[in-house]
Amino acid sequence: MNETTMKSYHGSLKQALDDNFLRQTLDKFAVQYRANRQLIFADVNEKALIAEIAEAKDESLDHLDELFERFKSVAEKKGVKVHRAATAKEACDLVIQLAKENDCKTVIKSKSMTAEEIHLNHPLEEAGLKVTETDLGEWIIQLRHEGPSHMVMPAIHLSRYQVADVFAETTKQDQDSDISKLVKVARHELRAKFAEADMGISGANFAVAETGSMAICTNEGNGRLTTTLPRVHVAICGIDKLVPTLHDALRVIKVLPRNATAQAITTYVSWISGAVERKEGENSQTKEFHMIFLDNGRTQLIKDPKCRQALRCVRCGACANVCPVYRLVGGHRMGYVYIGAIGLILTYFFHGHERAKILAQNCVGCEACKDVCAAGIDLPAIIQEIRARLNEEFGSAMDQALLGRVLANRKLFHTLLKFARWAQLPVKKGRYIRHLPEIFSLGQGPKALPAIADQAFRDIWPKIKPPVVPGAKTVGLFAGCAQDFIFPGHLQAATTILAKLGVNVEFPETQSCCGLPVQMMGQRASAIATAKGNIAAFKNLNVDHIVTLCASCGSHIKNRYHELLAGENMGAEVQAFSDKVIDFSSLLTDVLKVKPETFVNKKEKVGYHYPCHLVRGLGVVEAPKTLLKAAGDYQVAPEEDVCCGFGGTYSTKFPEISGTLLTNKLNNLEGAGVTTVVTDCPGCYIQLDGGEKKRGGNLKVEHIAEFLARHLT
Amino acid sequence: MSTINAAAVDLFAAKAKPVSISLSEAKTFDEALDFAIEICEKKPLGQLLLPGGPPDSERKKTLAAPALNEAAWSRLSEAGAKKGFEMIRGGLRKYLAGLDVAVSVADLGIADTATSVLECEKEDDRLASMICETHVIILDKSKIVSNSYEAEPFLTEALSKDRNYVAFISGPSRTADIERVLTLGVHGPLELYLVMVEA
Repeated sequence: MNETTMKSYHGSLKQALDDNFLRQTLDKFAVQYRANRQLIFADVNEKALIAEIAEAKDESLDHLDELFERFKSVAEKKGVKVHRAATAKEACDLVIQLAKENDCKTVIKSKSMTAEEIHLNHPLEEAGLKVTETDLGEWIIQLRHEGPSHMVMPAIHLSRYQVADVFAETTKQDQDSDISKLVKVARHELRAKFAEADMGISGANFAVAETGSMAICTNEGNGRLTTTLPRVHVAICGIDKLVPTLHDALRVIKVLPRNATAQAITTYVSWISGAVERKEGENSQTKEFHMIFLDNGRTQLIKDPKCRQALRCVRCGACANVCPVYRLVGGHRMGYVYIGAIGLILTYFFHGHERAKILAQNCVGCEACKDVCAAGIDLPAIIQEIRARLNEEFGSAMDQALLGRVLANRKLFHTLLKFARWAQLPVKKGRYIRHLPEIFSLGQGPKALPAIADQAFRDIWPKIKPPVVPGAKTVGLFAGCAQDFIFPGHLQAATTILAKLGVNVEFPETQSCCGLPVQMMGQRASAIATAKGNIAAFKNLNVDHIVTLCASCGSHIKNRYHELLAGENMGAEVQAFSDKVIDFSSLLTDVLKVKPETFVNKKEKVGYHYPCHLVRGLGVVEAPKTLLKAAGDYQVAPEEDVCCGFGGTYSTKFPEISGTLLTNKLNNLEGAGVTTVVTDCPGCYIQLDGGEKKRGGNLKVEHIAEFLARHLT
Repeated sequence: MSTINAAAVDLFAAKAKPVSISLSEAKTFDEALDFAIEICEKKPLGQLLLPGGPPDSERKKTLAAPALNEAAWSRLSEAGAKKGFEMIRGGLRKYLAGLDVAVSVADLGIADTATSVLECEKEDDRLASMICETHVIILDKSKIVSNSYEAEPFLTEALSKDRNYVAFISGPSRTADIERVLTLGVHGPLELYLVMVEA
């Protein structure tokens, strides 16, 4: 993206949302990709392989200088000239210098994200070189003077008609929009470019130190021609592409094509070791072969413990493939050069903080990317970290900073919520109001907003606390702010079920918000303060488990508290606390082993919406399904595990995207013929229930605790 | 002579079809060469991609096999000449406008991805497999390993040489860059025939 203000970015987002072709293409892609990916991973142990890649990449990153020296010494013995460029400019200048030294006038390129990263084409053209991209997608966008909209399929945003138009302009003759004919046009037009080129520029997926070899993975075969036909071959790659052994490369190749395009392997993997033969007439010579290793901020990034994982990236593009936001707005709004979640991150490190300032906000935090990443990168966590740094650097929006300070102070927060309940009275209509108090910062959007409850759960609790059952398990309730103050009914329902199951329930009043909302906004100090407060609240209560009805609270506590409090010297305490935390569905099925007979099944048609933070954040898949099958006629709606678009304050920042995700979700549920939809998270509940109310639908939305409580025997 | 891993051969065959490889078997290497001649005869005359060539009516079909040994080359070139093909053993740069068929011999097969591994340090070997419309690869069954890790010793040795260009080829050239529609034959071969032999 090139937009530099939030206003122009919103304009660009709207344009994308109104682009029917883009929407249909990316919808189809998202659905097919997920199905194909599942099939192609069937014969490998995905998680184990990804863990191995992550470990090996981390190890390589620790030794990049040694790997570089080793590669250089082996490759130079084979006639390769090995260079290291500190900056983008240095790399571009070097390529121009090599072109001059070798009297090159024409250049062909096979696809290289690193060349895109340094915007290589512009300086080459300014230096008088004629540059032609040969990857079909790259060639199309070069002719259109655009950047890629996907790392693997750079022209995915274009229709065959748009391609036919630009080909007609280039060839100066009409072109049929038939895709196979368009591909033949490229075959024709580009063969001449290959034949005349002096220099071929490629990327490299791997630089293998032990043998001094590089490898590229391609499908079209342009990489082989680019590295074979011209006199001079220049390969350019990030220093992070260095691996010690062939085994490391072969391991990544097991995942990269599967994750990128759901192929077991790319059609071609070309391994080049040394300056290979080149024929000049009958004469056998060797190629002029240069390898440029680009730093451009990578060495700094390695020293950044919170973000260095980003350098594990193998450029498969899967984080875009599964991103619900990418699916709606495409790559030109979801990255700068690098696209998708990794694009949000690498833009910050490679292309400047200013350029990442707006982009880094556009992550809904659903963790779908983290779930599929070929190198196990915790992309959402790095994006949150970048937001925190951007806030520190540029200052945060007034309302966010205020919310941050309020949440960090439990008493102030609770007082304000109670005050807000009175303040909202004049506009309250039943359970819904038009505006929540501004401190909640939920803004206006595609959903009706819930009101603060007349009585918070903490005020109801003393009246409903179940009698103590001696010797029984004790469960602590972690309420989270949304259920404590907006949906106390969810907690009441849970208390009823737990009491029925003969469990002791505790609710320590000094608990507060889990801290995720402020963390999401990059308010780190507030996030740490709330985390510490919560651990203290449960410290002296002798509970066996701490149940939360909010998947976001659960995932935040279990996955983030440890790292968040790393500097507080309270590791054991954090561990003990987060080990006890469990989601409501898993507590019932896995710990309390609830039986189907606990419920009366009236065959109510019920669907399920997986909160992102439950299915991916906590890895819970079966528990809610088991419960719904026991208490109702559970129907599987399409895309159950795709984000509903809430994302906390995301729905305020990007209401247009949030609203579209919501509409898709509700359409899918209504299409499945359910009368009730159940979820496990108050955020999703706000989004789904508010959305359905606003559009006047009849779908009933419930927390799983409410649905189960209604069906208790 | 190494032994044949029957399970790997079956796996290779199963994985070949989804990636658009036309798989066949020949009893002997000579029979595989005859098959290549047959393929060249059946295919339509290739298209020229560069301007300035002779009209189609004056063109012969072209078949290149730069990597074959003397005995195999003499058999193939004789058979091809009889059919009126132009038989090419070197100087592939002259054929950048188009080549009908190239015949290669795989150095290794990797079953779980239906991959043929070709050492092609020689430019002519490389070019033949890139610029032809139809690529015929002959693969000795005893050279098929189950997966890429089993190919590692071979690959390590090949890439430890002073200079080498090793190609993994798992199907004809393909793209899905326009509307994600799979289309075969972008820059490389339009079709790939793989002939398994028991040498």
